[in-house]
Amino acid sequence: MVRLTLKNIAVTEAWFNRLVVGGIALGFFALLAAGSAAFQAVRQSQYHNQWINHTFEVERAIANFDALIERAETGRRGFLLSGAPNTARTYDEASRQLGPALNRLRDLTRDNIRQQANLATLIQLTQRDLKMMNISVAQVRAGHRDQAVKYFQDTIPLQMMREIRAQLGQMRAEESRLLAIRDNAQTDTLRNFYVTVTFAAIILLLVAAGSIWVILMYTRDLTASRDELRLLNTDLEGAVRERTTDLQRANDEIQRFAYIVSHDLRSPLVNVMGFTAELESATKRLGAMMDKVEEIAPDLVDKDAQLAAREDLPEAIGFIRTSTQKMDRLINAILRLSREGRRPITPEKLDMNVVAQGIADTHRHRLDEKGIDFSVVGKLPNITSDRLAIEQIVGNIVENAIKYMPPDRSGGRIELRGHVEGPRAVFEVADNGRGVDPRDHDRIFDLFRRSGMQDQPGEGIGLAHTRALAYRLGGTINVESELGRGATFRISLPVAFMAEQGAIA
Amino acid sequence: MNNQQPVTIIMIEDDEGHARLIEKNIRRAGISNDIHHFTDGTTALEYLQEAPDGPAHNGPALILLDLNLPDMSGTDILGRIKADGNPLKRTPVVVLTTTDDKVEIQRCYDLGCNVYITKPVNYESFADAIRQLGLFLSVIQVPDLPEA
Repeated sequence: MVRLTLKNIAVTEAWFNRLVVGGIALGFFALLAAGSAAFQAVRQSQYHNQWINHTFEVERAIANFDALIERAETGRRGFLLSGAPNTARTYDEASRQLGPALNRLRDLTRDNIRQQANLATLIQLTQRDLKMMNISVAQVRAGHRDQAVKYFQDTIPLQMMREIRAQLGQMRAEESRLLAIRDNAQTDTLRNFYVTVTFAAIILLLVAAGSIWVILMYTRDLTASRDELRLLNTDLEGAVRERTTDLQRANDEIQRFAYIVSHDLRSPLVNVMGFTAELESATKRLGAMMDKVEEIAPDLVDKDAQLAAREDLPEAIGFIRTSTQKMDRLINAILRLSREGRRPITPEKLDMNVVAQGIADTHRHRLDEKGIDFSVVGKLPNITSDRLAIEQIVGNIVENAIKYMPPDRSGGRIELRGHVEGPRAVFEVADNGRGVDPRDHDRIFDLFRRSGMQDQPGEGIGLAHTRALAYRLGGTINVESELGRGATFRISLPVAFMAEQGAIA
Repeated sequence: MNNQQPVTIIMIEDDEGHARLIEKNIRRAGISNDIHHFTDGTTALEYLQEAPDGPAHNGPALILLDLNLPDMSGTDILGRIKADGNPLKRTPVVVLTTTDDKVEIQRCYDLGCNVYITKPVNYESFADAIRQLGLFLSVIQVPDLPEA
């Protein structure tokens, strides 16, 4: 179930990543399109505006020219009628400006062939009109007013003006046409811009909506898997706690069992032993009587009865006795192990060099007796642990090293080394004694199991006890050895003992 | 008042074999006092506290107590005998058990047990201890009982 969930998450994640990258790319593309559309639109708009303004300028120039020519005409007529100098001045000023006004128009309409054509006609008309106006004004100035009036009437100036006005109107119409075209273009540009922007906005909206949806989905997925994980975690903790409690209970049960069994086994043993002693004393009395009978009436002595009283009974009793004694030792061993398992661990700071020295001092006599050199190599790492347990562990191993050092071996050596490996301190007791057969490396730590020649007293309890103690302190113990080449016992212990670290021993 | 009453030995021991061995050794030590044997705590306590010929009402006694009894723990009996106000409070109690657990021994002495003897498998030392107990019995100071 766990693996399935994790796999789902992985799939979702790859899919999600691809989707997000795609969405972001699409969004950027839309933004880019919108931006370039806006840029293009602004540029086009500027261009169109420029031309629209140009059109307006042309129209203004046309209007300006219109006003000038009307003023000139008005001035001439006024002068013809009144001969007043101010009207002549009006005519002069206006007619003088007509040329520049036309020039300006020509400059402005240089881009437009049609307007140029219109302009050429206008210039022609204006030149003709101006010439006639100049003649009439000159006649008035010369004092021939009648002549001038007659000339005015002959030349039909009204017709002329009408033509000019028509021409101007045509030019205005042309500009209006251009304006309409340019306006349309401007509107088109704007419309294109709006379309592009709207399109981009829609894409962006879609991308945003898509992203939000994906993120929501993903978040929901994540939340779901997180909740699931949390649930699993809680379950796990609960399971571990439950298992630990079970183990603790089972262990307590074993402890109690070991205690009760060993205790209750001793009870019948007391009887066996006690009545064996009774038997023994009875046998002695029987033997004494047998002696007496043999002495007084030898013919009464039965050979079998004699054998039974003198040999069979004492032999049987002897076996019963040694067996019960051995049984008592075994029961005591179990009792001791069980008691040791129940002893509270009291961690304290231990200077291991001092501990090692203490162990060496304890065994000094036997070390000297067998001529064994005991040495501690360098400074041993200090640990925080139970003093008694540590002393028993190291002491047991050193004791074994002494015990199993072949008596004929000269230069017997026991070395105690130590180093720190992360959170653990490793101590090694190396000897050059008889060693342990590799087949027995595990066995020797079992209760009542021994290895090699059974030439030394013992019940096979020490190492079992040592290992139980090491486990209790959260440590391990193993051996490296070859037969005949000594052994190295390695004890790995936590540098600082923590209650929950200790195996339930 | 000072009439010498024989000390009754009350043995609370569920194992018949142990009881027999103890009795044999006591007799062998030359002690002929009456031995009342009980195999469970309830009847023993009843006798100790209630019986008209029991030690609470009649005469000095010595209690040999095994700690492992089928119906109750020997330490419970010890605690009751040695409780304040009990007429048997001064009656000597010898705890005889297979337990050589230090804590257990300590607890028995704390409760007021007078002697603690571990029943060893090594029979000779056990027999010795019982014989010593016989000597102890012969010099025992039995407290005067209040006049009934």
